[in-house]
Amino acid sequence: MSETPKLVLFQCQWCLFSPADQEWVDSQLPANIHLIKVPCTGRINPLYLLNAVQGGADGIMISGCLPEQCHFKTGNIGARRQLEEFSDYLSHIGYEKERIRFLWLDLQDRGIIQKELAAFEAQLEAFGPAHNLATRAVESAGGANA
Amino acid sequence: MVDAARQPLIEVKTFTEVEKVEGYVGNFVVTLREKSKYVRADRCNGCGACTKACPVEVPNDFELGLAPRKAAYIPMSQAVPLIYNIDMDACIHCYKCVEACGALEAIDFSMEDKLVEQEIGAIVVATGFSHFDPTPMTEYGYGRFPNVITAMEMERLNNSAGPTHGALIRPSDGKSPKHIAIINCVGSRDKRYNTSCSNFCCMYAIKNALLLKQMHPDAELSIYYIDIRTPSKGYEEFYDRARESGIRFIQGRPSEITEDPDTHQLFIASEDITLGKVIEREYDMVMLNQAAIPQPDQNHMSSVLNVAQSPGGWFMEYHPKLRPMDSPTDGIFFAGACQGPKDIPASVAQGSAAASRASRILHSDSWQIEPTVAVVWPDRCVSAKGQACGICARACPYGAIDYTKGLAAEVITAKCHGCGACVGECPHDSITQLHYTDAQVLAQIRTLLAIEPEKKILAFRCQWCSYGGADLAGTSHFEYSANERGLRVMCSARMDADLIYEAYRLGAGAILYSGCHPQDCHYITGQISGAKRAARLEKIFERMQMSPGRFRTEWISAAEGDKYARIINEMQATLDAIPEDVLKAEIERLRPEMSKRLTKMGEVPGVAQAMAQVDFIVDEMIGKEKGA
Amino acid sequence: MSGFTDPNTLSERVKAIPGGEMLMMCYSCGTCTSKCMIQTKLEGSYNPRRLIREAVFNMDDDAFADKTTWLCTACDLCYTACPQKIHISGVINAVKALAVESGKKTPYQVAKVDESTCVACGLCEKICPYEAISLVEKRVAFRGTITVASVDAGKCMACGLCTAACRSTSIRLAEDYNDAELIDSLLSWLETERVSS
Repeated sequence: MSETPKLVLFQCQWCLFSPADQEWVDSQLPANIHLIKVPCTGRINPLYLLNAVQGGADGIMISGCLPEQCHFKTGNIGARRQLEEFSDYLSHIGYEKERIRFLWLDLQDRGIIQKELAAFEAQLEAFGPAHNLATRAVESAGGANA
Repeated sequence: MVDAARQPLIEVKTFTEVEKVEGYVGNFVVTLREKSKYVRADRCNGCGACTKACPVEVPNDFELGLAPRKAAYIPMSQAVPLIYNIDMDACIHCYKCVEACGALEAIDFSMEDKLVEQEIGAIVVATGFSHFDPTPMTEYGYGRFPNVITAMEMERLNNSAGPTHGALIRPSDGKSPKHIAIINCVGSRDKRYNTSCSNFCCMYAIKNALLLKQMHPDAELSIYYIDIRTPSKGYEEFYDRARESGIRFIQGRPSEITEDPDTHQLFIASEDITLGKVIEREYDMVMLNQAAIPQPDQNHMSSVLNVAQSPGGWFMEYHPKLRPMDSPTDGIFFAGACQGPKDIPASVAQGSAAASRASRILHSDSWQIEPTVAVVWPDRCVSAKGQACGICARACPYGAIDYTKGLAAEVITAKCHGCGACVGECPHDSITQLHYTDAQVLAQIRTLLAIEPEKKILAFRCQWCSYGGADLAGTSHFEYSANERGLRVMCSARMDADLIYEAYRLGAGAILYSGCHPQDCHYITGQISGAKRAARLEKIFERMQMSPGRFRTEWISAAEGDKYARIINEMQATLDAIPEDVLKAEIERLRPEMSKRLTKMGEVPGVAQAMAQVDFIVDEMIGKEKGA
Repeated sequence: MSGFTDPNTLSERVKAIPGGEMLMMCYSCGTCTSKCMIQTKLEGSYNPRRLIREAVFNMDDDAFADKTTWLCTACDLCYTACPQKIHISGVINAVKALAVESGKKTPYQVAKVDESTCVACGLCEKICPYEAISLVEKRVAFRGTITVASVDAGKCMACGLCTAACRSTSIRLAEDYNDAELIDSLLSWLETERVSS
């Protein structure tokens, strides 16, 4: 299967320190990646992940700050606990753990996100599309929009 | 160095460590460890055949690891004497060097370190400084980003005798950098690492930038700084020249260096203070101008030489303004950056001064020392009566007291610096300090507290700090309570508990126990003994239920005149807050307690007579005043 | 020299608040400003160094109107970078407290509680990194006097943690996208992506 994987990128709005990287994410993201910018990884409601899975996303990447560098003191610590636990649950119902990737970025990282996205894409391509849980997309494809 | 080695009266001993320094001014006995080079100095002709033959390569320390060296090597091309050396840690004992040396037979693997004792008249310490390693400052990425280098590495890269023969290249790809940044104050003026300013780096950065600009006119150089300090003659003009030549000066300390992982280009984010904007600029190479720090073995040297260290770890001079090249120990002098970071002109000036100070000793038959030395009364010393004691020997910061059980303690007068720590600590009042004998100090206390003692604040001041502080308060006209009565001793360590008890027995209203800040102590650890005793006294007085604030311990430097005045005024306010009758009752209540602790005082030689005389004089004086 | 300083000046008042003590130690090197992510990502005129100067020179009006006062989220990146070890967010917080005391309000959005659905479970109170949320007794329309969550506008930094944590979707940022919109846009993107590929 040579289909380009559909990827949802959740990005905390602080984690990319380098202006060049942020610009790339904001304006030059490939069409197969959907960016959702949140004030903090802690703002990501697990519901979003569930919807992304149900909608047929092949992979989810969550990029945030390193624990001690959170812009909101403890936001990313809560997010780590909540989202990693949720990804365990998703893997339990059949959405492989490898399809959710966390990227905790250091202030000094530069150009990392592009490489990581490319590597993730390559990995997802090898995995193939995630169909089994894409219930919602199938429904909506048949009729009314969700 | 070469010139010094050629001088017939100068013996240069390299690769030699000072193990032990004994004796005193004019009569030091220094134990030296002459480390073995495994090459015989009398045979080696410096041909270098051993280096060529040696198969082992290790990083070259002199080139800061930028180039390799062999296990058989000379540390640098200007080494004195020019004798090869075998690094035993790296040597694999293949003996190829022995073969290469051939008939000269200069290489001798059986050599061992030699311990040599030498009689020395005076010592000049010129051990220099070391460089701060910026690795812990992760924000600058030194060690992680190949193109972030230190000033010393830049120095070697730009040196025609250096590892690249003067070709300036980027460590990551060997290309010639066009955009170079220099960051000042890396690890200095930084409370996380070294609080102090490293003195010469501003000029050093400008010098390096100008040198690079001369060699590579197309290079763009930027210097990031907090403040540019150019205080000496001709320095500001040099700074002018640098600006004229097109070097960019950016006021603003960079917070972060980031690196493009593919190209190893560096990005510096800093606020341009003058613009009030944060600007990210791209560079090919970044040079970190690291702080000057004390040598890593400075603490060890300080204990070998028995000289104190200032805050920050540098060797402490006798007096920062008047005797900057003298150590507090007679016969030991400082030259250069071991006493504090300084540039070449200042080091040369200090070195010449130290040499001339030292030659005064070498040309004298006798030497005057401080007169305030300690003296033991052998008949009172309990050690002579067979008791184990040795408190005085432990209290002495200079090791000037010989203590052997069964014999009276003995003061080595030439080593004694006259702090009085032994006098203060001796529980049997068996030691006294000339010019500050118990009798003399007690006589002063009696006189100061002769009239209305309950209204007085008796301030014990140490000669070097709090006395200076009080003096400064006076010359600066900082007003403080007229009820203060100052009493000078050499060190807070001399402020014997007996003196305090006696003052309270006489009815003193309040007592200030003051001295230097810890670390500032003129007598290495004198303040520490003083502080311990003060803490002990505070507890005793608390148990006696003395009103709080009547005994106060404060550390005041000679520059803190305002603090001295403030503290005295605060003490006056505390005293004013206690109603007079309550205070008097308290003094009466505590008088027997104090007397109980003073039973031995009268036995001290001279005290009884001095007291009788003082009482007589005081009575006369008061009588006269009343009569007038 | 009496050493008397007017305790009513801004600098003295800031120094009297825990966190603001080191105010006068700033030598204006600019490390904090270039370290700050708000200044690179959100608001170019944000400048902690300038705010410290304003506080040092007792410029009350400028300091209280400065965006820096209201935007700092106390992430303390600058604190670990400051060569003078000044607790910069402490200073800014002190200025903010004084601004709130003088009746100023934050010009930025803060979290809002929908009191008609709040069940006072206290999750948001626990998760808030700024201790801005507390449970209070309140008279609410149609529900009488009940316990609900309440947001302190002077403390809230609009991180949205409470929104993600709330199980009854009763708390949200005033101008924040709502969950439904976000999920809709996500699903419609996935849909078009499916059609195109």
